[in-house]
Amino acid sequence: MVAEVLPLDGHLLLLVPGDNHRLIRWVALLAAIGSFAFSLLLLGYEPSGAEFQFREDIPWISAFGIRYTLGVDGLSAVLVLLTTVLSVVAILYSWDPIQKRVKEYYAAMLLLMTGMLGVFVALDLFVFYVFWELSLIPMYLIIGIWGGPNRIYATVKFVIYTLVGSLLMLVAILAVVLAHANLGGTFTFSYEALRGTAFPDLLQAGAFIAFGLAFAIKVPMWPFHTWLPDAHVEAPTAGSIILAGVLLKLGGYGFLRFSLPLLPEAAHSFAPLMIGLALVAIIYGALVAMVQPDLKKLIAYSSVSHMGFVILGAFVLNVQGLQGAIFQMVSHGVTTGALFLLVGVIYERTHDRQIAHMGGLNARLPAYAAMFGLFTFASIGLPGLSGFVGEFLVLLGAFQYSGWVAAFAMLVVIASAVYMLWMFQRAFFAVPSDWMRRAWGSLHDMTRIEWLSLAPLVILVFALGIFPIPVLQATAEPVQRILESVQGSAGLTSFAWPW
Amino acid sequence: MTDPATLYPLLPEGALALTILVVISVDLFLAREHKWWLTPLTVVGLALTAGAIAVVWTSAPTDTLAGIYTVDRLALVLKLAALGIALLAALFCPSYLVARRLPLGEFNAILLFSTLGIFVLSSSADLITLFLGLELMVMPAYLLTGFHKTDRFSNEGGLKYFLLGSFASAILLFGVAWTYGLTGSTRFADIAQVFTDGLMNPAVLVAMGFLTVGATFKVAAVPFHFWTPDAYQGAPTPITGFLSVGPKLGAFALLLRLFGEALGPLRADWVDVFAILAVVTMTFGNVVALTQTNVKRMLAYSSIAHTGYILAGLVAYAAATDPAVATTAVEAVVFYLVGYGVMNIAAFAVVGMLQRDPRRYGGLASFAGLASRQPALAAAMTVLLLSLTGIPPTVGFFAKLYILLSTVNAGLVWLAVAIALNAALAAFYYLRVVVYMYMRDPEAEPAAIDRNGVGRLALALSVAGVILLGVFPGLLLGWLPADWVAGAAGLVGH
Repeated sequence: MVAEVLPLDGHLLLLVPGDNHRLIRWVALLAAIGSFAFSLLLLGYEPSGAEFQFREDIPWISAFGIRYTLGVDGLSAVLVLLTTVLSVVAILYSWDPIQKRVKEYYAAMLLLMTGMLGVFVALDLFVFYVFWELSLIPMYLIIGIWGGPNRIYATVKFVIYTLVGSLLMLVAILAVVLAHANLGGTFTFSYEALRGTAFPDLLQAGAFIAFGLAFAIKVPMWPFHTWLPDAHVEAPTAGSIILAGVLLKLGGYGFLRFSLPLLPEAAHSFAPLMIGLALVAIIYGALVAMVQPDLKKLIAYSSVSHMGFVILGAFVLNVQGLQGAIFQMVSHGVTTGALFLLVGVIYERTHDRQIAHMGGLNARLPAYAAMFGLFTFASIGLPGLSGFVGEFLVLLGAFQYSGWVAAFAMLVVIASAVYMLWMFQRAFFAVPSDWMRRAWGSLHDMTRIEWLSLAPLVILVFALGIFPIPVLQATAEPVQRILESVQGSAGLTSFAWPW
Repeated sequence: MTDPATLYPLLPEGALALTILVVISVDLFLAREHKWWLTPLTVVGLALTAGAIAVVWTSAPTDTLAGIYTVDRLALVLKLAALGIALLAALFCPSYLVARRLPLGEFNAILLFSTLGIFVLSSSADLITLFLGLELMVMPAYLLTGFHKTDRFSNEGGLKYFLLGSFASAILLFGVAWTYGLTGSTRFADIAQVFTDGLMNPAVLVAMGFLTVGATFKVAAVPFHFWTPDAYQGAPTPITGFLSVGPKLGAFALLLRLFGEALGPLRADWVDVFAILAVVTMTFGNVVALTQTNVKRMLAYSSIAHTGYILAGLVAYAAATDPAVATTAVEAVVFYLVGYGVMNIAAFAVVGMLQRDPRRYGGLASFAGLASRQPALAAAMTVLLLSLTGIPPTVGFFAKLYILLSTVNAGLVWLAVAIALNAALAAFYYLRVVVYMYMRDPEAEPAAIDRNGVGRLALALSVAGVILLGVFPGLLLGWLPADWVAGAAGLVGH
């Protein structure tokens, strides 16, 4: 797994140049591109081969049965590629906007990248936890140092929220590991060994809640989402790209990788609750997004809504739902990453994000408007663009679960068209506000670096929308395994459930 | 007449005592400008003592001095930890003291006396030895607290610490007397033998009550913590670092010896009290630390919270029914003590480095914009604070993981959840310092910074240790006193 290590090599180089910002930027960019290039090797993943490929397995803390085990299956591979692409985009985009403490900034970015990649490839729960926390601190610094005026409040809220969840998850990890050992297994943190253990009901329920809380905060699911709008509004653009594009996916990935296969009975019993919360998130995010005056906040709330689809797909527990959930994660990463990038573009020029202050941008910045329109439609789920595939599959899965659930979610898709198009209309077509007229002269269309950083996302949004088969093929096998582990279960039988 | 060979296990104590004598004597003949020689001298003495521990390592466990002094793996590991702490203190303090014209000779001698007290405490197998060790450890600590004799806060802290500490020692002594009266012996082994039948009569409860109050006072557990904030804030800052980890190490050695061995058979009777104390202590320490705007005082309260975490490990030991689980818990306690020792003493030292100007009292404002003024110092402090919070890959994370593991293992999931929630709470005030260092602009007149090379070296060593032990905790795990519980297990009839 060279891709996972490489950003760290970039760190070593960052120690060398002092105040040579140009060199630092190039080193960081090359590290990210190198990481991306290596992650392309994952395309050589053999679907019919072993479950986890490109393995790395080194003893780490032998007294605790902790091994540095990494490996990749289709689910990991897809998300690793998403991470490396978005990291290149974020690092490239930061070229001009970041002028303060450049070295620290790129060091934090690369560390963040390492943490996120590590989460997606860790096959040892201890290693997973270490990477999980490792991805927290750089984002804390990125928001806190390079963020907006209210950055300190936002970043502290982000960290405390996340830590509460993850520390409880640590307790759950230990409980699961110890239970496995007490049930006659060895003392190990290995995911593959722990999976398939018949944990007692009480432990499953407790661990599901603890894991679920950590993942739900990260996703974020309603009602644990309140840190997200604050974090997004204050984060620098590249931070928002990574936050929306990848960090939220850590939560979704956690549900799919750990909650479902490790604790199948609990997952089975909790599924109706999770679906209920997901529906609330979908409708709540959409409704709140409608009334947001701030462009970034609007997209942040639309993320709550879109990530609700991921949870919905994950817990309807059928092939279409799960595949849709994974696809939705990838697609959301691409479209929302791009939207945040585009918000950053206008913010760089006007230092303002109020939709009411915009208007008429289409006349002044036609290319920019075209790009914004493209990703607006992708976000709504226009067929032919990436957003459609994920939402369609999730709805298909939801329909099999219950027609009512699907119908309800479907209505919200219309709502999402309302808030996105209304926003687009106000910002790009309406008569320019007085405020905008004053800034009119200083507006210029997208720069070369902005184009360069956006280009991969434009390609992806079409490619995924027109030809989604590779992603679906890659994830077919992991989805099948998740379903096998869950479908055989009868749920937690020792509790009386209200549903 | 004692056979000289029985004194062989006392070699480390001998080396340390000799060092003290040499330091005091040499101090007499050094001119003021040459006093700094005392620091390398102390370091050499500590190194020799470490060598002596290595010499007796293989012969452990042995009892000596007619059974009142035990040299087992637990004792030796605790002594090594005490040596490490004393070494860091000897390196961190001089520059701070010299800047305030405080005498180095006395400092080094008092520091080593206190360390010797920890040695005796770690090895005690008898109530009298235990009390002797305790007093030898805390008396110098009182002196160190009031070491800055021209500073009002230092005087106040020293006096408070002395008065309340003596009071607690008296209470402990009263418990010792009751215990002797009930069991007719001061040897831990004999006491445990008598107590194997469980609580014979209410008088045992009285004895246990007095011992608990006295001992928890020494570890600064709530509600017996009131001396801590004032003593810690008053003492010269790098010395506070030592006070917050050295005497705490000794006090936990006392708890392990007294409650683990002598009162081991009565575990079922004291475990609940300690569990409640642990939760109250960690929660109170964290909640009060949240409201502090002075970093020194905040670290003082946070050290109370850490006491709570370590107590949780002791509770896990007491609650365990399986000897293997009990072993893990004791190892967790020792691991936490070592990790906490390194990170806390270094964190206080950084606060001290920002007090180059004696009018500074370690307020949060001193840290504002430190990252742009002193990137390396800010980065070091960040690592230490992350370790105190318990974020991987630092020793603080693994220590917390170990404590959590042993509590869950002992079936105390609620205690583990309490620790986890407390750790998240603590993140708020630890990270606030990071916020000041990285996310705020420096003050108009930023605090002068101590650039002493020795202090920097010690800081580099500590940070390296924090990261190294965090990534490779196996380096320390292999040394932990796994045999101790086996020995105690036979004693307490697991």
